[in-house]
Amino acid sequence: MATTACFIIVSRNDIPIYEAEVGVAAKREDAAQLHQFILHAALDIVQDLAWTTSAMYLKSVDRFNELMVSVLMLLHDSRNDDGIKSFFQEVHELYIKTLLNPLYLPGSRITSSHFDTKVRALARKYL
Amino acid sequence: MRSTFGTGDCSLLCINSSQEAPFKHQDNPWASYITDSSSSPTQDVGCFLNMDDIDEIKVLMQDLSSKHIIPNMEQTIRILNQQVSATRKGFRNQIKNLWWRKGKEDGADSLNGPSYNFNSIESQIRVLGDYAFMLRDYELALSNYRLISTDYKIDKAWKRYAGVQKLGSLGQLNATRCGLWWIEMLKARDQYKEAATDILHSAVMLEQASYCYLLSKPSMLRKYGFHLVLSGEQYKKCDQIKHAIRTYRCALSVFKGTTWSYINDHVHFHIGQWYASLGMYDVAVKHMTEILCCSHQSKTTQELFLGDFLHIVEKTGRTFEVTKLQLPVINISTLRVIYEDHRTFGSPSSHSDTSEEVVEGQSRKIHQAYERKRGRTGWAQGMTWELLGAETHILSGFAVEALFCDTINSFNRDYGGLCANIREALWHSLEEEMLPSFSAAKTNWLELQSKLILKKHSQNVCVAGEAVKVTIEFKNPLQISIPISSVTLVCKYSASTDEVISNENESSMEKDNKVGHFRNMSSDNSSFMVSEVDFLLGGGETTMNGPRLLPWKMKINVPFGKVKMKLSDDGFGIESICTVYLTAELPVGRGARLERLVWDFWERPNCPGHIQLSATPREEGTLEIIGVRWKLSGTIVGFYNFELGLPKKNILKRRKTKDLPNEKFKFMVIKSIPKLQGSIHPLPGKAYAGDLRQLVLELRNPSEFPVKNLKMKISHPRFLIIGKQENMMSEFPACLRKKTDSVQSVIHDNPNITTGTVFLFPEGTSVQGDTPFLWPLWFRAAVPGDISLCMSIYYEIGDVSSIIKYRTLRLHYNVQVLPSLDVSFQICPFRSRLEEFLVRLDVVNKTSSESFQVCQLSSVGHQWEISLVEAPDSIFPLQSLMAGFEHECGRRFAGWVRYTILAVERRFASEVEIPVFCSLHVHGFVRGKEKGFCVRGEGFCCRLESKSRRLSTFGDDVSTSPVKSDAILVPQSIKDIVYDVNSAPLVNFHHYERLQQEVSYKGDLNTVDFVLIYRPFRSSDDPDFSTSSSVMSHHACHFSTASTGPISWLVDGPQTMHHDFSASFCEINMKMHIHNSSGGTTFVRIDTLDSDGNSGQINSVNVVQSATTDNQAGWHDIAPVNELKVASNALETQPGKALSLESASSYIWSGSSSTHLHIEAMSSVEIPLQICVFSPGTYDLSNYVLNWKLPSNGQGDSDEKRQQSGQCQGYKYYLTVLQST
Repeated sequence: MATTACFIIVSRNDIPIYEAEVGVAAKREDAAQLHQFILHAALDIVQDLAWTTSAMYLKSVDRFNELMVSVLMLLHDSRNDDGIKSFFQEVHELYIKTLLNPLYLPGSRITSSHFDTKVRALARKYL
Repeated sequence: MRSTFGTGDCSLLCINSSQEAPFKHQDNPWASYITDSSSSPTQDVGCFLNMDDIDEIKVLMQDLSSKHIIPNMEQTIRILNQQVSATRKGFRNQIKNLWWRKGKEDGADSLNGPSYNFNSIESQIRVLGDYAFMLRDYELALSNYRLISTDYKIDKAWKRYAGVQKLGSLGQLNATRCGLWWIEMLKARDQYKEAATDILHSAVMLEQASYCYLLSKPSMLRKYGFHLVLSGEQYKKCDQIKHAIRTYRCALSVFKGTTWSYINDHVHFHIGQWYASLGMYDVAVKHMTEILCCSHQSKTTQELFLGDFLHIVEKTGRTFEVTKLQLPVINISTLRVIYEDHRTFGSPSSHSDTSEEVVEGQSRKIHQAYERKRGRTGWAQGMTWELLGAETHILSGFAVEALFCDTINSFNRDYGGLCANIREALWHSLEEEMLPSFSAAKTNWLELQSKLILKKHSQNVCVAGEAVKVTIEFKNPLQISIPISSVTLVCKYSASTDEVISNENESSMEKDNKVGHFRNMSSDNSSFMVSEVDFLLGGGETTMNGPRLLPWKMKINVPFGKVKMKLSDDGFGIESICTVYLTAELPVGRGARLERLVWDFWERPNCPGHIQLSATPREEGTLEIIGVRWKLSGTIVGFYNFELGLPKKNILKRRKTKDLPNEKFKFMVIKSIPKLQGSIHPLPGKAYAGDLRQLVLELRNPSEFPVKNLKMKISHPRFLIIGKQENMMSEFPACLRKKTDSVQSVIHDNPNITTGTVFLFPEGTSVQGDTPFLWPLWFRAAVPGDISLCMSIYYEIGDVSSIIKYRTLRLHYNVQVLPSLDVSFQICPFRSRLEEFLVRLDVVNKTSSESFQVCQLSSVGHQWEISLVEAPDSIFPLQSLMAGFEHECGRRFAGWVRYTILAVERRFASEVEIPVFCSLHVHGFVRGKEKGFCVRGEGFCCRLESKSRRLSTFGDDVSTSPVKSDAILVPQSIKDIVYDVNSAPLVNFHHYERLQQEVSYKGDLNTVDFVLIYRPFRSSDDPDFSTSSSVMSHHACHFSTASTGPISWLVDGPQTMHHDFSASFCEINMKMHIHNSSGGTTFVRIDTLDSDGNSGQINSVNVVQSATTDNQAGWHDIAPVNELKVASNALETQPGKALSLESASSYIWSGSSSTHLHIEAMSSVEIPLQICVFSPGTYDLSNYVLNWKLPSNGQGDSDEKRQQSGQCQGYKYYLTVLQST
């Protein structure tokens, strides 16, 4: 399990619709904004890469000091690529299920507590 | 030399060699310093190097350095590097080194640190570093210096460490310089991206790096922002606050408008803090206001933010006015403007939603769900919607609106305690008949003027002196509570009513001085009055622990067919599904088609702080509500402009109707007109089904102007009907009792049952002054459920000059009706008399705590007579239906006492007097509510069963008119109360019940309607139920008695006969009464059958044989002769009896085998029948068939389902014929 992992789902126009700190390390007060900064900055790279490849999974796209960014926006410090990949797949499935909800407007923030607990469980499982 | 060193390594330099060269010897520059006189000043010491020499030296040196020194150094570096890497680099070496160094440290511990040999690895590294530095390979040098510096540091060789650090820093500087050069080169070559990504890590350089990101193609704005923030932080560390602010402000342009909350908070907070430290509080406050709404942050951070903000505001030393204060959050989607023009409201929940557009934000969800499913199901019967999803919503209410092709029927149900949202459409449909119609009239140019006026006043109208109310929802997103004070509406008043001109002026002005307007508003409020509210918004409600779905299960009934809605919550997760079934059942034969079905969900607000503010204009003019202002913590004044907060769609709309910028918040104030105030009391909040009460409608008119033409309409006449003036005087429930002397008057009492029409108050009705106007109403809780009763009272204003000619008072009440008794009837024909039936009444108490006493069963109308067999005392020893009783194990059972009764007989229209036959059958049992208790319950049941008995008595003749259509079910002691079901209001309610239960009405005349009257037996503990009510009624309609078709018949004849069969066979004359209860003439054919009784014959033979053998078996007994004779006598009769019992052919029908009859509608005929019996016995005379046929005279429209013909088997009729002696 990675000590630091911040997971964010970003919809169009850079709007984060879901955020979660899934690492095991104790949360520092400044960590959240730092992670957001890193992830936000990494979107530039993602935007570039998205046009060059058709793969959904982009491996590690960016790094800042010791932290790496994988796509679907996960900031992590571990090197477990396979785990991250399967984590993304499962989360994507969850996201699709969320989209099925007619009360959920695509692009709005995901506030379901159920989704949250599921994602955290997956993080524990794969990261 | 060459031979010694080799030719390649030697070179010759020739300088200054020629003495004879024609050079002018220059003066000895040192001459003046030579003090020694021995030397000749004129002696030439030599000549200077000439240019050739210099060149030659240069060439030589270059040659030397390039060919020898540099390669030599490079080689040395290589060797050293090899050495170093062999000893120091790599993981293994590091470990070894560490271990080795530790051991060494213990031994050598001199003051100056250990001395290093030239051969020591440290020295070697140092040399390597120096060489690399000399060759300007700064990277290598730096790495070596770093490597060695740590060693020196550990070894406490401070001098050497310092030296290395110095060189190291020099190297770094040079490296940076080198890097900068490289960057510039790259920039020059347009490779910005590479320039930025590589080596710029220095504090100051970050900014440069960010600019590189900005300039790169495609520009990487986010990286730009990130690096700006990083550099800003570095600046801050160096106390360069201004630079820090500059970089942050630049970064802000990137992050502006994004929803990355932590980033925004970070940037704004720091800018605000830094500005504050610079003393620029105004700007600081501006930035700090951005971060106040930080629900995602932790509580400590929230406190920090708010504390800092308040601190900064305090420093400014004045109350701050902020136009976009984020605390508290105003939920604009729930904003409601409530005003009263011609519509006035009697109760707070009856306000129609005048802000239709605002609610649209919520109803969009609905349409989405609806659109999604439409493709699959279409508009067939039984539409079903399913909500899949992971989303947890607090569904606090919903509305179903069904649009049928002819009219709009909407039904609203509120589940979260929010105020019910009665749609304007509902009111509209209710008031349709009452209001004078404007649109229906044909328009011509003459009416143009009035139309213009109407159009002009299409904006909202309010009356001077009556408050315009705005309900605003404030939400506190934080976990800490915030005090809010002096919340007021900001209004603008202009005395002119010519709104078009004023609008144009204002709209131009508005933009600049809107804020100014907000400021000075509090001073000039002479022409209107605003209310002021202070409150404390509690914190601590976070969105995380809030969401929870309410348990759902509900059913809705909408007039015009049924719309059923079931919401169930199965855990409501991702896999589990929240299912919303919405089924529509349409009435048969009405031609109604469901066009639109909309359902609505309201989410419950997180921290509800609904506040009602009001602005009351005092004079005529124009009142505009601009926004709301409030004070946070006593220092900061926040504003909210309603118009800005509205969704964009409205702005688009407004473009079309350009002249009215904000219709919604603008009111034309007209001079004051009368306004009725009304209330119904005492309307219960809860009632048991069947509860009948007398209510009083109280109307007041506080103004001095008169009103006229009062009309009233009620949405649910099944629940609420309008009484008569004289009801006011009479006492309830005594007025319901049957008056002993007024039978005729009761019959003539023609209740004005007028479905759906408007009730007109009497002509002279005036509501004015202090005395309230009272009018009786009857309330009956008809069906269990939540009922929203709407009533609208229309009145015209006496003053004709007013713009508003009429007003309506809308009253809305919610009543919860709980189930009380479940009553069912069963009717079966009773074969003793023609047109006599046995009615079985089953009553189940559905309540958990209430007991009821069943008082009376009546049939409505005068065609039926009900009577009871036995005195009520013996039927009901308990006198009441217990709600539940304690079992010995302490469990509570729902009592379910069932009893069966009674009575009945149809009274012929021709007033034939018939003796009344009554039978009574009582039995009771208890059924356990839970399944696990069924067995135990049944055990209990058996005990009770033993008490049950069947009683059958013949009642005495009731030959006197009036018809006894009531059966009293209570003991004699309180028998005096007989309720009259044929008088108002019971008969009125019955009428509506009849309409409601009309589903299978066939125009059958053979139906009977029952009214069961009961009352609560003892006063309930629940204070919600007022104990004043003592009458409850259950109406059951359209019970058909005609189960066998239109005809009923009765075989009338002797039961027992004596005949001497030795003389002749016996002829018995009988009569059959046939009654045609249908509306038309019926043909009846009676077929008498002489069926073969083979089986009977065989049986009888067997019986005879067995009888004889029995007797033979008993032949051993020697009996006296006379006794034997008796026995033989018995022998004689026995076979015959057995034969006649079993055999059908032992009698024959005499006369024709088939009789044709022709019976007129609603009449009866009498047919003589005759049978011949040849032996004594008991005969079953059921061997006939009645074929009936209705004439099919092409009346196809009557009812296709109705049977045209049928066959009825005869019923059992036993006739015993005995041998006469």
